Amino acid sequence: MSWVTNAIKSSIGRKFLVACTGLLLCGFLVAHLIGNLLMYIGPEVYNNYAHTLHSQEYLIKIAEVGLLVLFIAHLWLAIEASGRNRAARQTRYAVKKSKLPNRKIPFAITPENYMLVSGIIVLIFLCIHLGDFTFNLTMPEKIEGLEPYDKAIVIMRSPISAIAYVIGSLLLMWHLWHGATSMFQTLGLRHPKYDGLTQNFGPVFATIIGLGFATFPIYAWLVPYNPPAPNPDAPEAHGEPDSHSMNTIPAWQPASDRNELPG
Amino acid sequence: MKLTLHIWRQPNTEADGEFKTYELPDVSEHMSFLEMLDVLNEKLISEGQEPVAFDHDCREGICGTCSLMINGQAHGPDRETTACQLHMRRFKDGDEIWIEPWRAKAFPVIKDLVVNRSAFDRIMQAGGYVSVNTGNAPDANSTIVPKQNADLAFDAATCIGCGACVAACKNASAMLFLSAKVSQLALLPQGQPERKSRAINMLKQMDEEGFGNCTNTNECEAACPAGISVENIARLNRQYVSAVLTSRD
Ligand code: SF4
Ligand code: FES
Repeated sequence: MSWVTNAIKSSIGRKFLVACTGLLLCGFLVAHLIGNLLMYIGPEVYNNYAHTLHSQEYLIKIAEVGLLVLFIAHLWLAIEASGRNRAARQTRYAVKKSKLPNRKIPFAITPENYMLVSGIIVLIFLCIHLGDFTFNLTMPEKIEGLEPYDKAIVIMRSPISAIAYVIGSLLLMWHLWHGATSMFQTLGLRHPKYDGLTQNFGPVFATIIGLGFATFPIYAWLVPYNPPAPNPDAPEAHGEPDSHSMNTIPAWQPASDRNELPG
Repeated sequence: MKLTLHIWRQPNTEADGEFKTYELPDVSEHMSFLEMLDVLNEKLISEGQEPVAFDHDCREGICGTCSLMINGQAHGPDRETTACQLHMRRFKDGDEIWIEPWRAKAFPVIKDLVVNRSAFDRIMQAGGYVSVNTGNAPDANSTIVPKQNADLAFDAATCIGCGACVAACKNASAMLFLSAKVSQLALLPQGQPERKSRAINMLKQMDEEGFGNCTNTNECEAACPAGISVENIARLNRQYVSAVLTSRD
């Protein structure tokens, strides 16, 4: 198997894997955005989706582990590559100017020159996001026992989270602007017939994903919303023994709809 | 015209270098950039100073020997032009010009503006050739090459091995050079027998020489005096990955 390790260690092999993992992570972003957009259809639809998703215990575990592996691989390979890149030029130029026709500033602040920085900021944002939503660390007492929709709104109505989410989404957009076009070149998918498509794919995809995610905190602030009262002793307060269990369908259904549910 | 030159002076590879400033009072706009440096060197020699070492050979844009970073741009401000083909009419009276050598770990400075580009030779030795006899002129008629492939191979073959792509790349990557050398053979029937080992071995050599990775910023293409397209880099990526996955070595 030494050919595998050799290939991964080679500059092209490494970049190829960065592109592959990036592509798969893009797939995750699309699925996540579509899921979140259900918030706009209505709380019930969104809650329904969230509970159905979380009831697939094994699938969720596999997806979580898979995503973790993808993230770590993507980041690790990119950090390694950028370490090599820095080592490849030891003395800097006193003067450096681009010869690209539309770029006059030296090392302009453009997405392709700040991929590692934007990637690491996105990672920090991701940790905050997981802390908020997955591990319920930031405001456990406020979101205890809330339905997914309410939980999301409550979290995003905190000013710090709202700002973090808007900035995080915009940086993700910045990262994808270059990444989602560059991956085609790295994967060798290039042909004059499709150049226009691949060149524009990154910016368009980045805008949809970045602005798409950025709308949620803004929406959370704009919708008239009465935050549900903090619910420290949630299970009892709900008056239903299984009211916060994710697996029993009737418990999360709004009271008015419960009777209409089959079974 | 009157020019102020800031030139990188470094006595040898080990020594530290520094910029020295020179005034040239009477530069003709008809001179080439290298002729301007010749005039400076004559002046320095007549004053008993060490002349500035810089690389040059053909002075007509075909050998790839000249290698100057002029005001932060490889081969100067013009597109698809080597430093030797750059003319002083591109500058104006009173200009300050910064002249540096290619900077890359894989291209150590030998002296002043001259760098050692043997790393490119070693990459070529690792596979930038065909081992078969390609025959005599009549044999060309029996080896069919589609016109489009011949054109693309020829475009790739115009790489003069100057190293401007490495110099301009923020990662000092030699991918444009390597991609041109791999493409020119990968596109032709004569290159097929060694297609896989060529891609694998040449890339291995490039990595060992200490060049960086490609991050698709396209600075190399913009700096290349031969107009080599980054489309070749995509071809190199394809060649390498398919070679790794299917080679029997
Ligand atoms: S690809 Fe262009 S810039 Fe690079 S070595 Fe060849 S001719 Fe010079
Ligand atoms: S001296 Fe030969 S290309 Fe410039």
